[in-house]
Amino acid sequence: MGEKKKEHYDVVIIGGGPAGLAAAIYCGRAHLDTLLLEKTMMGGLATNTNTIENYPGFPEGITGPELTELFHRQARKFGIKFKMTDVKDVEFRCDSRRIETFRTVYDARVVIIATGGRPRVTRAQNEEKFLYNRGISFCATCDAAASEGKTVMVIGSGDSAIEEGTYLTRFAREVIVSVIHDEPQMDCNETARDAALANPKMSFAWNTIVDSFEGGETLERVNLKNLKSGEVTPYEVDTCFEFIGYEPNTELFLGKVEMSRRNYIITNEAMETGIPGVFACGDVREKNLRQVVTAVSDGAVAGVGAEKYIAESTRFERDILQKEKIGLIYIYSAIDAPSQELLPIMREVESAYGGQVKLSVIDQYRNHSLCEQLGCDVEPMTVFYTVDGEIVETRARCDRKSIIAQLNKLVDDPVDVVESFP
Amino acid sequence: MQERVLDCLGEPCPVPLVKAQRALEDLEAGDILIVQIDHSCAMKSLPEWARDAGHNVEIEEIDNGEWEVVIEKS
Repeated sequence: MGEKKKEHYDVVIIGGGPAGLAAAIYCGRAHLDTLLLEKTMMGGLATNTNTIENYPGFPEGITGPELTELFHRQARKFGIKFKMTDVKDVEFRCDSRRIETFRTVYDARVVIIATGGRPRVTRAQNEEKFLYNRGISFCATCDAAASEGKTVMVIGSGDSAIEEGTYLTRFAREVIVSVIHDEPQMDCNETARDAALANPKMSFAWNTIVDSFEGGETLERVNLKNLKSGEVTPYEVDTCFEFIGYEPNTELFLGKVEMSRRNYIITNEAMETGIPGVFACGDVREKNLRQVVTAVSDGAVAGVGAEKYIAESTRFERDILQKEKIGLIYIYSAIDAPSQELLPIMREVESAYGGQVKLSVIDQYRNHSLCEQLGCDVEPMTVFYTVDGEIVETRARCDRKSIIAQLNKLVDDPVDVVESFP
Repeated sequence: MQERVLDCLGEPCPVPLVKAQRALEDLEAGDILIVQIDHSCAMKSLPEWARDAGHNVEIEEIDNGEWEVVIEKS
């Protein structure tokens, strides 16, 4: 196919779950030109949840799809542009952030990563043959009605496994739960465990993991392996629900932002990834609690961070990369004495040119983000020369003589070194 | 490379899907088909089918309740 379209945005948000939508609401309200890209379904993983009972403001509870649709409507009200498409590639550099979909290359001043996670799979034999609509499900809400009067299996014993398993007993004839632990140990909270143990429709296969899945077009049988005896037992089931945790959607960002051992993105409290202009929020972050309420909180912080970053870089472009005069930008550091000694000399040089040169001094220690805009690793004592707001020359170490020599090449009226500084 | 626009506004499911499948048959690999729809059910069925068939898909919301499904034939 031909050349890709090029578009520019203040903010591009990747992911349309609660974190991405909350970030969108904050960006939209701050009048930032914002695009949100979502791969499959607006609302993200939260749309898999039947009832959300712990999101403040909904005392009767609300379904995941309903709640996220409200987020979506609210973001739309603030003028956010939405596009349903897969991101193919990203490139983060000090001075630019590029996001590529199959038709378009987006250039963004800020990128907010809100790609969340996906359910973990068992990686047992033949699993991929039956994923999603062929018998293995990760969403009780979505597939419970289809389990009416049938035998289903649940893998896992955490809160979601046991709570969703209990919910399934309202439809299914029998719910068999494969638990990796000794009887009666489970990973879920005690209330859920006691309710499950007392539920006549639920039975438990203790000390088991999935050995393999079998069937024709759709799943027919799950073979469970007993970890103690090694014995494999077949179970005839119509659907198998896997609830064994989540993994982050971060393949796209490997090697591009810092990640934890399990590939969650590491950020600080301000949702900054360490790459200038790149934020991450929601379930994709390394953090303690992954809930809708913490995702929207992250999103708000990232949205405000984006606004602040853009305001700073606008100021940077207007004041420091000004176009009226030849620019002389000097980086010093409040904790580096030699770099401070050059400060008065810089001021003398500026005045010697009688208004032809504009000096900007940046304290690398205090205004780190301004330094980042000039390049990722700027050392103290670096001098940048600009013409028409573009950097034309960078020098790491310098003195009065070399600065004047350089400026004389750029200005209309050069100065005589000896005459100006007797 | 060819780009074709298919107007399915006002058409309920499964009309957009059937029309899109037919239109795509006449196109070459790398060609683009843009299907305009305003029934949300086609928003789901059309991209799902196209992705399953291995094509690249992108959906753009043109207006509230109006979308363009962009399919690149693979």
